[in-house]
Amino acid sequence: MKIAFRIGSAAVLAVLAVWLWTVLCPSPEKVIRQRFADLARTASVSADAGDLARLSAARSLAGFFATNVEMNLDLPRVGRLSSMDREEITQMYLAASSRGGGMQVKFPDLNVTVAPDSLSAVVDLTVTATIAGEADAIVQEMKVTLHKIDGQWLITRVETVRTLS
Amino acid sequence: MTEDQTRQSTAGSTPPRWARWVRIAVIGRNPKVTLVRVAILIVTCFVVFRFVLLPIRVEGISMLPTYKDRSVNVVNRLAYLWHDPQRGDVVSIRLAGPHLMYMKRIIALPGETIAFEHGRVLINGEVLDEPYEKTPCDWNCPPVKLGPDEFFVVGDNRTMPQQFHKFGETPRYRIVGKVLL
Repeated sequence: MKIAFRIGSAAVLAVLAVWLWTVLCPSPEKVIRQRFADLARTASVSADAGDLARLSAARSLAGFFATNVEMNLDLPRVGRLSSMDREEITQMYLAASSRGGGMQVKFPDLNVTVAPDSLSAVVDLTVTATIAGEADAIVQEMKVTLHKIDGQWLITRVETVRTLS
Repeated sequence: MTEDQTRQSTAGSTPPRWARWVRIAVIGRNPKVTLVRVAILIVTCFVVFRFVLLPIRVEGISMLPTYKDRSVNVVNRLAYLWHDPQRGDVVSIRLAGPHLMYMKRIIALPGETIAFEHGRVLINGEVLDEPYEKTPCDWNCPPVKLGPDEFFVVGDNRTMPQQFHKFGETPRYRIVGKVLL
């Protein structure tokens, strides 16, 4: 009985230690997933948000990107884009979010592949943007490359993937 | 004396008939067997709806009139386990994952050449009979030769302008399964 109790206690402690380890030192994949959850939350804007809130969101959003982002985008309402800096990202977001109603951004699917050196990662994702007043949501598959710069995972490259070519 | 008391107390604690029937209806005559049945049901549902039948909700009008906006359907993930997708099949095509998919109809198979000419679909130069197409359209698309592992998919609603409709070639690995209903 005493041995069983000790084994049980050791097992509970081991599970607790593993859980604590994953909380304190999350894997790069977990960090990246959390980063995209934050990105979606930041990019989403409610219909009644004021200009200041939108500007604040735009500045926060730019923080998810590296100083210069390589782009290979071919978006239905935006057109072709090849590269952008943080200021351009801020301006583009402000233009998109101030068109009228609110905007909800989601990443329903994220496939994260972290490089063996854990300094870069490629994320295949689906992004949906629902704009208030528009019947259909914008749905786009994308490939995003991130690099760990100064301890932060920053987006360095974004490209659209054509699901149906 | 003791036996009488025991009988009386037992008779007194017997639940009313309706309560007994409610109990049987809810948890069955044998709770252990019911528990096992519930466990089996949960595991079966999990396996079926996770790996075999994928419940989906149609959003958008690209498959009208066959599938209405916001209708519910099921995708059979095992449909193409033993054979390749066929022309006319309505399939779901995944983007980055299975949470969001396109629902389209296969109209051309690997190796074929497909073109749209004044709304008519030409497969290897011959007009394709499409009984599911109820309204005429005026789409035009130059001939496209499909690769050995490519299918050409399109929605049934071709009344909408061509540029607003997502259609084209898709590799085999993107086809998740066949729409069941």
